[in-house]
Amino acid sequence: MLGFCGIEAERLRARWVSSAEAPEFVEEVNDFISALKQIGPSPLKKNTAQNVA
Amino acid sequence: MIEIVRQKAGELLNQGKIKGFIAPSRENGHVAPRLFTRVEELSTLNLGDSSSEGDARYPLDKILITLHRKYPDDCFGILVRGCDQRGLYTLYRLNQLNPDRVIEVGIACSPGLAKACECLKPFPDDAVAGDPVAPEGQKAVEMVEDMDMAGRFEFWMDQFSKCVKCYGCRDICPMCFCNECSLECKDLVSKGDLPVDIPVFHLVRAMHMADRCIDCGLCEEACPSDIPLRTLYKKTGRIMDEEFGFTSGINKHEKSPLSIMGPAPDKKGP
Repeated sequence: MLGFCGIEAERLRARWVSSAEAPEFVEEVNDFISALKQIGPSPLKKNTAQNVA
Repeated sequence: MIEIVRQKAGELLNQGKIKGFIAPSRENGHVAPRLFTRVEELSTLNLGDSSSEGDARYPLDKILITLHRKYPDDCFGILVRGCDQRGLYTLYRLNQLNPDRVIEVGIACSPGLAKACECLKPFPDDAVAGDPVAPEGQKAVEMVEDMDMAGRFEFWMDQFSKCVKCYGCRDICPMCFCNECSLECKDLVSKGDLPVDIPVFHLVRAMHMADRCIDCGLCEEACPSDIPLRTLYKKTGRIMDEEFGFTSGINKHEKSPLSIMGPAPDKKGP
């Protein structure tokens, strides 16, 4: 649905990580952060800034 | 067509099979929904056509839910088009209506209306009147899919920003029956602010419509800002079909894949 609205689908992730799997969680979050850095700022964020300005 | 419906409803009322018949009625120049409880009243029966076919449709399913909650032991008749019946099937599935307490009187839509709706099923099962016409393609969804990402973003943000947060889309929706609504959860949608939280408001609704929306199009008709909501929900419906081979309300007894726990089903049906 995000893709249909022109928002990169990679900006949303759902993963099942057990509370006993801390390393997996850390790895997943780090991976997500680096993926997000590659994509860059959200178009929505830009939109809000413009509205405020 | 209307005479056949009138006759059928009259028979049901005369035989005492139903307590009342829910259908639009033309009174004082206006078409509005009505519960017909006596045969004589049926003279004002209308099929939801004010000045052209299907231009005065109402969420009759929703009225039936209200009646059913108040009078669970009584049986009611209801006028259904293809979409209304898909709605009833979905409401049976979600335990909001008891199929033993509902008698459907179905009419098929004309080719013109089916085309305008880009309808997947412009006829109910067991239609008593009208000739079923073939389903239509969905050009509106394809139009958006043909845009690039930036184009889609601009298109939808322009549309969503028109929203005045009247909740008309939710209030008219025959599939929206929850007592507690996510759209009133202050963590998701802030209260008293405009413009509405974009795109959260519209995407939350779209998500909740995933296995429910029966594409009746009343939301889009009700929207004072003319947001193409129907296109958005048609897309969610299409994703459900592509991922799970499921289309809301097409088969009477089919369960939603979203309500089944277990491994992901094979694509295009179990």
